[in-house]
Amino acid sequence: MAAKPGAATPTYSPKIVGRSRLPIFKDSDLDWSRPDGRGFHQCRPALLQTGAVSSASGSAYAEFGNTKVIVSVFGPRESKKAMVYSDVGRLNCNVSYTNFASPTLGQGTDHKEYSSMLHKALEGVIMMETFPKTTVDVFALVLESGGSDLSVLISCASLALADAGIMMYDLITAVSVSCIGKSLMIDPVTEEEGCEDGSFMMTCMPSRYEITQLTITGEWTTPNINEAMQLCLDASSKLGEIMRDCLKQSASASDE
Amino acid sequence: MAAKVSVSPTSLLNQIVVPGDVVLDLSNMNNQTIKLGSGLLQDNDAISAMRAGKLSYSKPNKYWLESSHKRYIPRPDDHVLGIVVDSRADNFWVDIKGPQLALLPVLAFEGGTRRNIPKFEVGTLLYLRVVKTNIGMNPELSCTEASGKAALFGPLRDGFMFETSTGLSRMLLNSPTRPVIEALGKKLSFEIAVGLNGRVWVNATAPRIVIIVANAIMNSESLSGTQQRIMVEKLLAIISD
Repeated sequence: MAAKPGAATPTYSPKIVGRSRLPIFKDSDLDWSRPDGRGFHQCRPALLQTGAVSSASGSAYAEFGNTKVIVSVFGPRESKKAMVYSDVGRLNCNVSYTNFASPTLGQGTDHKEYSSMLHKALEGVIMMETFPKTTVDVFALVLESGGSDLSVLISCASLALADAGIMMYDLITAVSVSCIGKSLMIDPVTEEEGCEDGSFMMTCMPSRYEITQLTITGEWTTPNINEAMQLCLDASSKLGEIMRDCLKQSASASDE
Repeated sequence: MAAKVSVSPTSLLNQIVVPGDVVLDLSNMNNQTIKLGSGLLQDNDAISAMRAGKLSYSKPNKYWLESSHKRYIPRPDDHVLGIVVDSRADNFWVDIKGPQLALLPVLAFEGGTRRNIPKFEVGTLLYLRVVKTNIGMNPELSCTEASGKAALFGPLRDGFMFETSTGLSRMLLNSPTRPVIEALGKKLSFEIAVGLNGRVWVNATAPRIVIIVANAIMNSESLSGTQQRIMVEKLLAIISD
């Protein structure tokens, strides 16, 4: 079915249907409502599950609203590359998107920036000295991108590492906040991320009250940063409890 | 949001704990020496869990986390099932499902000398004992007991090997005998070798016995003692029909 040398290669593209849609945010601050009907300080419902991938040492599946991710942890295992001796372990993180993760077709790619940020968030919580000369591989796959992808990935990766039995100081939870106008919105969806003035993401260890990563982009005032931090800390402690319950359930199931 | 410190050392015993949970508060325990096993870490006056598992205690003063994982972390004197992956002049490289391949010296056999070096093909299944697990080095194995006798160690011929979690293999080796093994042993005759690395080898006269034993063990992980006995009865009823 090859095309003739002179002829143009046939292509097809999805038909774009014009849809009349109300703007997400109206002009007045007071009239704003979120696309999914949540309050400004309300997170999406979270579904967490461990042991999703049977071939991995540990794995977890997370679903926060429309954001669906799956993380697999392999190792500790001997490094494939002939690297120099290291008395601490190595952490290798890879974040990729499926082709169908976002409405734009054919966008399934490795996300280098997210991979780096996931590594930064996790390396502070893992006891690297417990697996010298070896590597722990964390492979994260975004099945559906519905906003706040990185924060969901980090929380899910933490759960997968705990499921794999990797020694950790604590679980880590990540929460993101968007600043739109004068309002702060916790756990933003894709539409909100598209028109935000600034984003704030905090990764912390809820039990130890320590922050492993803090990312701020865009325009922020000091009072807004303080408020966002309080929102994130509060949400992190609640998310931490959900993650703990999930781990305890899976541990007790295998312990009976 | 600060960690909840347990007031008494017994409050979390036999409970499931997860990373970050404070399991013991040392400020309340005066003049006591305690021994910490795997999965626990001292952080000033608090003992924290480093992984998910059940907090266990043995008298007089030992605390550790009992957990089940797919990966095995080698410990000295563990009995494991290994697969030969490479053969060298002085040693065999053996896969024991750990972070690194393990070394089995060619002289680590009963009466091992340069004259009678054993020959194992790649893929041979061996029952072994872990001798050394120094940090930064590959674990060292042996096919003898500490006394130098071969005892149960050596190659496992025929049979069927399957993989389970490290938690289940530990339960199978625990005393008293796990109900599933006890119930199967009353009605069927078979050989079984369990490695702490989550590998189990089963051999019997008929293949169907091997299949039944393997399936019963694999299904028993999340079942209670009574449920295990009921499952075995159902399996035996099927083959007797």
